Amino acid sequence: MTHGDSAGDVPGRSRLYAVPSTAPDQRAETDDLLRAVARGDEAAFERLYGLVSPRVYGLVRRVLRDPAQAEEVAQEVLVEVWRTAARFDPAKGSATAWVFTIAHRRAVDRVRSEQAGAERTRRVAAGSAETPYDEVAEEAAVRLERQQVRHCLDALTEVQREAITLAYYGGHSYREVAGLLDTALPTVKSRMRDGLLRLRDCLGVELSR
Amino acid sequence: MTDIHALAGAYVLDAVDDVERAAFARHLDGCETCALELAELRETTARLADSTWSVPPPALREAVLAEIARTPQERPGRAARSGPGHVGVGRRRLAVAAAAVLLAGGAGAATWVTQEQRVRDARTEAGAAREEAGRIRAVLAAPDSVVRTGAVTAGGRVTVVASASRDEGVAVVDGLAAPAPGRAYQLWLIEGATATSAGLLPAGQGGGTKLLSGVRGKGLFGVTEEPAGGSARPTMTPLVALALT
Repeated sequence: MTHGDSAGDVPGRSRLYAVPSTAPDQRAETDDLLRAVARGDEAAFERLYGLVSPRVYGLVRRVLRDPAQAEEVAQEVLVEVWRTAARFDPAKGSATAWVFTIAHRRAVDRVRSEQAGAERTRRVAAGSAETPYDEVAEEAAVRLERQQVRHCLDALTEVQREAITLAYYGGHSYREVAGLLDTALPTVKSRMRDGLLRLRDCLGVELSR
Repeated sequence: MTDIHALAGAYVLDAVDDVERAAFARHLDGCETCALELAELRETTARLADSTWSVPPPALREAVLAEIARTPQERPGRAARSGPGHVGVGRRRLAVAAAAVLLAGGAGAATWVTQEQRVRDARTEAGAAREEAGRIRAVLAAPDSVVRTGAVTAGGRVTVVASASRDEGVAVVDGLAAPAPGRAYQLWLIEGATATSAGLLPAGQGGGTKLLSGVRGKGLFGVTEEPAGGSARPTMTPLVALALT
């Protein structure tokens, strides 16, 4: 694994950052912060940064598998959050989901661009992409969340799980996924949807606060 | 359109192409149940993101805070003004005449040769006016058609499918900021220093699908924001410029 960030060298650094949580109070806080950001409140943006940046960076890096590109794309994402915060509509979902929709889309756009694609292919070929969980803060809440997601992913059928993880964490289109799994296109589409519906139930996802 | 609803999962995972994305977004407008399901699936994928938590490099924070301090925000109901630094392909601002040169250097537009399967799926969902639908399908199915996509720095993206043999193309504009009142996005076919209008999106709309005629021999496709009636020639550097060859 080559990497540009070295947070893992510094025990306790992670305490500087908020831990992820889907607790209702944090959700309310994130929603409120994003609305304040939409009114141009830079202090609110700094607090929002503390709440979401480890996950934005983590997600983008997971998809891109390249810390340097991940840092660049995470920056684009967070600036887009600032710039377009007024588009956030709490009636349509949480601030967290809104931010990660932007982050995932940007990461996937980068993966599918030609230059990044070549670079990524090279990295994968060099075997440098097989360490998805390095350098991650050993926060109990992180481990708990990860365990819950892992548990719910494990509860899916293999095709559901593979289809979802290849698309979400790997940035693959469903056509690519169909090729990788040697499965028919309509099946892949269905497995993505019914797998996500099952995950929704397993994780207890709810729309309203 | 038979199974467009089944795309909800792939859509929320960003695993669809741009034509499908545009088709599904249109479908959502008229389907309340779908919009609700989609919102739930978005919350679900956000939980997948939770588990990727990773400490970002400290430099990221400084870089982001410095950039937002000089970045104007969109106001609700107003267009994102494309001020300095917010126009271009990739991160470059391009003059129309110089765009081809820079694009040849690889300024962030992705290119795929259209594949048969992609075309088969996409063509049923391309939408558009009925009399145009057949021509759009023909462009998408043309053996020489190429698909090019570029992100607009200020948000949104533009995809062009162009077939030289048919001398036609299809443009899909998706997710751009709504233009200011009385203004609209105008599409251009550009060769050298000459830009020919390829049509207007409806005033106030940040997205749409448009059939393009006369793509043969044109080097670039571009999008600008213009008065709602359209301009004879672009009045600004294109928000995005895509090579057509």
